[in-house]
Amino acid sequence: MAGSALKRLMAEYKQLTLNPPEGIVAGPSNEENFFEWEALIVGPEGTCFEGGVFPAKITFPPDYPLSPPKMKFTSDMFHPNIYPDGQVCISILHAPGDDPMGYESSAERWSPVQSVEKILLSVVSMLAEPNDESGANVDASKMWRDDRQQFNKMARRLVRKSLGL
Amino acid sequence: HLIERSWYAVTETCLAFTVFREDFSPRFVAMFTFLLFLKCFHWLGEDRVDFMERSPIITWVFHLRVAALLMFLGIIDAFFINHAYYSTITKGATVQLVFGFEYAILLIVVVNVFLKYVLHTIDLQSENPWDNKAVYLLYTELFLGFFKVILYMAFMAVMIKVHTFPLFAIRPMYLTMRAFKKALNDVIMSRRAIRNMNTLYPNATPEELSSGDNVCIICREEMVSACKKLPCGHIFHTNCLRSWFQRQQSCPTCRMDILRAPIPTGQQQGQQTPQQQQQQQQQANMMPGQGPMMPQFPGGFPMFIPPMVPGQFPMQQQQQPSTTQPASSTTATPTTSTSTQPTAVPGGAATTYTMPGSTMAGFPGISPYMMPPMFSPPFTPPPMPPANFAGMNDEELRAMEGIERSHVEARVQCLRSIHTLLDAAMIQIQQYYSLMSTMGPQANMYPAPASASASAPAPGVGTTPAEPTKQSDSVKGETQAATSEKPSSLQSDEDLSDLEGAVGFTPVEEVIIPEYHDEPVDEIDHQEIRRRRIERLESETNLAALDKESETK
Ligand SMILES: [Zn+2]
Ligand SMILES: [Zn+2]
Repeated sequence: MAGSALKRLMAEYKQLTLNPPEGIVAGPSNEENFFEWEALIVGPEGTCFEGGVFPAKITFPPDYPLSPPKMKFTSDMFHPNIYPDGQVCISILHAPGDDPMGYESSAERWSPVQSVEKILLSVVSMLAEPNDESGANVDASKMWRDDRQQFNKMARRLVRKSLGL
Repeated sequence: HLIERSWYAVTETCLAFTVFREDFSPRFVAMFTFLLFLKCFHWLGEDRVDFMERSPIITWVFHLRVAALLMFLGIIDAFFINHAYYSTITKGATVQLVFGFEYAILLIVVVNVFLKYVLHTIDLQSENPWDNKAVYLLYTELFLGFFKVILYMAFMAVMIKVHTFPLFAIRPMYLTMRAFKKALNDVIMSRRAIRNMNTLYPNATPEELSSGDNVCIICREEMVSACKKLPCGHIFHTNCLRSWFQRQQSCPTCRMDILRAPIPTGQQQGQQTPQQQQQQQQQANMMPGQGPMMPQFPGGFPMFIPPMVPGQFPMQQQQQPSTTQPASSTTATPTTSTSTQPTAVPGGAATTYTMPGSTMAGFPGISPYMMPPMFSPPFTPPPMPPANFAGMNDEELRAMEGIERSHVEARVQCLRSIHTLLDAAMIQIQQYYSLMSTMGPQANMYPAPASASASAPAPGVGTTPAEPTKQSDSVKGETQAATSEKPSSLQSDEDLSDLEGAVGFTPVEEVIIPEYHDEPVDEIDHQEIRRRRIERLESETNLAALDKESETK
């Protein structure tokens, strides 16, 4: 009998392949290790990230789903809620109790109710509506607030880059 | 992270060499390189075994490799420990001491990894999920962590005795201690979770499992048996829930804090309740389980609607604030200052009706007939304890009571609030009395105006027996003081018996029934009833005062 974390990840993978949400592809990077996933996220329509396809890596802890996974964009990103190294900083990925930014309510934190699909959907909405209270990328936060034009320009450059143009 | 670990290993070993400078030779450099090499293999083995939990495909080649690697590492470690031991015995403390210690630690690592491997293998072989595996893993971690800590202690002691303080061992020792503390904590949390699970939460019934969505939100598998139901109604596998409770004491679905949640029998009601609900709440098994009993009525009072609006009185009031009465109002009521207030009615004969002993709580500058604005917010009652504790087991009772400082403080606060409430009730009563006394002559002298007779229709003497009823009722928050005339003395006795539970009911002393100089003939019965009631009140006051004393201690 496989471990409970592995079983749950297999169930989630199955669910994601049967009913893939729009604009999201995700699965284990190789079938031998279900704790490392790759995901492709399409920039949401009507935003400055529209049209881009952004690859990301999701790493699951051994005690998943009791602890949240980590998500990291492998392409260059410029966004208030993404660290310069690509690490995503949204409340759904934080266990209650650890609050790196000190602004999140525990109601939106990680719990076993959440899933890979919900994380990815949250990331899509994060791309559409950045939370500038978070300081994951201070430069991006500032630019998002003060110079939206410049921010959009940066984002579109990233979109083109992600498409290999 | 292999590189990072190697880097630490190199620096630590270099530090170790500074202690044994005289032993430095090419031979030791070679031994040190070999040690580093072996360490890497240990880490590799650890990773391999962890990988067993991550991959759905485990081949027999994998098993063969892991088993062989562990066996090999174990033998080498044992050999070097043996070598270091004899070297130290024959030649005294050399750098071999450090090597021997390093290999001993590595041997423990090998044993740990091997036990994990065995547990994983057993789990993989069995068809059903092995529920106790997590517990075994916890205990393995705990015991081997303990051995490691002992080993580090011993090494420290030896090194301090032989050479000097081993600076290079600080970091690994700290890490080991931390890991051990974590393992200990895990075991404690796990035990607590299991105990809570067994005692506090009922098993889910087959009907509950078969009805509707029966997928466990933690493992995303169907729930067939061995499930628990939380107070919030959510159902999970017992084992899934246990591993979750090791981390957090809340419902995974709705995040309700299960340690502070009411036991299922409890009834939760909205806060801003009208009067009838307040009474219900007292009867219902309202569990004050939500943490310490929070007194929820800061400044609020039970529906004290001003008994009479000043405009209703055709007469003018004269206030004569006089000395405060020390005996009655106590510390907990900063807002109410008692003052004797003989109300004089312009009309000559009224002075006869000033109440000799009655105390009148007046607010400076405010007519006693008007409630101060701070009393206006609707009263939210504190969670009342259930009327009968028989339905609860010891555990629940203990959880309800709480022993921490905050609980005790909350209880004292609660008592104080009750005290304030009672004082307020007394103010009401006294206002009522003075009203009665002033209404009396007025009703006698003139044909009573319609507005006044509507609110206080009877002449003062006729309504006096209702006063103790008022008092007890207003404590329960069910009566507006304006509803006059409850002439039943029987009822008041019943109500008084309700009061027995009300600790801190000291202000009863303030009830000093006015003496009426001109009594009608039919007042004798009333007098008798009143006398009995006062006696009874006094005896209860003593009891209550005793109660309160013991409570505050
Ligand atoms: Zn489950
Ligand atoms: Zn729940």
